[in-house]
Amino acid sequence: VTQRLLIAAWSAAIAAAAASMVLVLSSSHENDPAARAALIVGLGLVFVGCGLVATVRRPDNRTGVLMALVGFFWFLSALADANNATVYTIGVALSLLVYGAFAHLILSYPTGRLETTRDRAIVLFAYLDVTVVQWAWMLTRERIGTSNAPCPDCPDNVFFVSHDHTLNSGIVTIQRGVGIALVWAALAVLYRRYRNATPAARRTLGPVVATSAVTIVLIAVMLVAAWISESASHTINWFVLVSFGTVPLAFLVGLLRTRLQRTGILRMIVESPDELSLREAELALKDALGDPTLRLAYWRDDLRGFVNVRGKPFVVPEDTPLRVTTTIDYGGKPIAALLHDRALLEDGAMLEEVIGVIRMGLEKDRGERELRATEIRNQALIEAIPDLMFRISLDGRYVDYRAPSEFDLVDREVVGKTVWQRLPAELADRIMAAGRSAVEERKVEAFDYELDFGEGVRYYEGRVAASADDEFVLIVRNITDRKLQEQELQASRARIVAAGDEERRRLERNLHDGAQQRLVSLSLSLRLAQTQLEKNPEMAEQLLESAREELAQALEELRELARGIHPAILTDRGLDAALEALASRAPLPVEIERPATDLPPPVEAAAYYVVSEALANVAKYAEASYVRVSVAQMNGAACVEVSDDGIGGADPAQGSGLRGLADRIAALNGTLEVESVPGQGTTIRAEIPLG
Amino acid sequence: VRVLIVDDHPSFRASARKLLESEGYEVVGEAADGAGALAAVEELHPDVVLLDIQLPDIDGCEVAARLGKNEDPPKVILTSSRDARDYGACIGMCGARGFVPKAELSGAVLTTLLA
Repeated sequence: VTQRLLIAAWSAAIAAAAASMVLVLSSSHENDPAARAALIVGLGLVFVGCGLVATVRRPDNRTGVLMALVGFFWFLSALADANNATVYTIGVALSLLVYGAFAHLILSYPTGRLETTRDRAIVLFAYLDVTVVQWAWMLTRERIGTSNAPCPDCPDNVFFVSHDHTLNSGIVTIQRGVGIALVWAALAVLYRRYRNATPAARRTLGPVVATSAVTIVLIAVMLVAAWISESASHTINWFVLVSFGTVPLAFLVGLLRTRLQRTGILRMIVESPDELSLREAELALKDALGDPTLRLAYWRDDLRGFVNVRGKPFVVPEDTPLRVTTTIDYGGKPIAALLHDRALLEDGAMLEEVIGVIRMGLEKDRGERELRATEIRNQALIEAIPDLMFRISLDGRYVDYRAPSEFDLVDREVVGKTVWQRLPAELADRIMAAGRSAVEERKVEAFDYELDFGEGVRYYEGRVAASADDEFVLIVRNITDRKLQEQELQASRARIVAAGDEERRRLERNLHDGAQQRLVSLSLSLRLAQTQLEKNPEMAEQLLESAREELAQALEELRELARGIHPAILTDRGLDAALEALASRAPLPVEIERPATDLPPPVEAAAYYVVSEALANVAKYAEASYVRVSVAQMNGAACVEVSDDGIGGADPAQGSGLRGLADRIAALNGTLEVESVPGQGTTIRAEIPLG
Repeated sequence: VRVLIVDDHPSFRASARKLLESEGYEVVGEAADGAGALAAVEELHPDVVLLDIQLPDIDGCEVAARLGKNEDPPKVILTSSRDARDYGACIGMCGARGFVPKAELSGAVLTTLLA
């Protein structure tokens, strides 16, 4: 509908109103010209005006056009007030047309189309009743009044053919009877339509149906009353006209109401987005649009589908005559779907606006949702970090802190104090220097430090990162365990090296003091024997004899020494034989418990040395009468145990033998335990992982 | 020639005594360590000290150096079961007459070194 057409229509209405007013006011046969003029002009303009507004609001709906038509037909009825006989007669002939158009209007509401044959029939009969039947009546009545009332001053009826009172009365009866029947039929249609309507549709139908029904009922009452009293009918006609005038106002009220509602939705969603969850948005939309079946679903990128406001997957249903789905896009992506009553499509502009608001709200909602999710994730991350965290301003004052364990706090009081109040000056200076350079150069600074807590030194790793232009975050991790492990590892390595050196020194000394000395003596003995061979053969023989003994002893010592370097029997014949050999050399009974297991060579060697060292200790210190040795495999580790029934009280910290053993086993990630209660014997237990 | 044998291994002392005596040396005494050696020299005034370098208390070179400070110092012949090169310059510096590996000890070698 173009603006020009609207202006033309409205101008025509004004012109018609002016003409009607002139006709009525100059009428020679109107009882109350002022009232009638006001009624004609008022009702006509209201219908045409409301019709035009409705046409603008819903251009594809014929209701507005029909309403305007009712208005123009209404102006047309003013022709009956003309003093000219021909104009007067035409006016009377068309004076009831407005009721036909009115029936057309209310039965085609809200779509603007007569949907069923029954509706079309009712409207057709209504048009016939107010035109053809009216004209037939006019042919048989010489003098007619306005609105069927007797009128002695009225101009002549130019349609009059011949007077036939019976025929005339019969036509009146038919006209009124058909009118009453049509009124009831229309009422029945309106009632059923309202009863079957969805709540959203009822909202649109309600005001118009109510005012129309009242008007129709009054028309019926008027028709019935006409049989009893012409003047009573004339009075009721005034009520009909007033009621008639409320119908377009009902349209206007409906329009205004949706506009108010829409403003309400906008305000609700835009002004309180923080409080408005999706579930609440759905409720608000249901309420505002008057559609309790409305469903809001929003798009989840991660699920590649819609979910409803409870987060459950939502499958968009096929559209039906009653319910349709409107998808809401944003930036080319679906963000929401609105399953709603088809009636809401009637007001396309309103739906557009609601969708715009939802789009805005959802986008905002999604932004906040993501922000909140990020916050929760970050919070969870921070909670999961076992480190101390401090926020420190550039002037050295603690702003905030987080301590998973108060154990690491030098001082329970943190916020408000300065680093120099809580920490040794040297450390405080280091932290502040790191903090300043972190803020200036925007990079993370890390440093290690130690703090003496009285019961022992603890080691920490500090990391500093800028958190604002005037503050930084200090993250402190307790690395005491790691440091101690590192120190222990270093000590253990040093001990292994020292043990190696010591071992070599011992070997050198053993060689020097043992075999070497014997060989030296042997050499001297042989030289002496050589000198004595001729002058004193007896002595020479003695010397050779002692040299042979010396040589045998030297050989034995060399063998012993070699066994100390590495037990050849272990590599040649395995752990069982090596343990047997150890047992046989021990000065006391040794029981060996050895289930068949296959251990890797380094573990076998470690087990051998544990048993060897333990047996040597038993022989030296334990005063035991019996030793039990077991080498078994348990839980992926070799378990070596040597226990005696001696005096106990051995101190594993004493003596380099056990320490060396512990280092050797630690190098294989194993552990060595010594259990030696005085009077209860000694048990040495080693566990060496096989992997 | 009067000889004092200083060594911490009795077997060596016994063998050396037999060998030297069989070749005409007079073994006047034995000592097992550095302190014993110093005391024995004080008491016995030997002409020659056969001195092991590796002694449990005082190093043989040190003992030789101290003996060198006596009024009438004995001639010191160092010995060891190790090679002379293991001791570096100390053998030449301490005032000893010479060095003989233990296994090569004989009256003849001693005589050569003392000459």
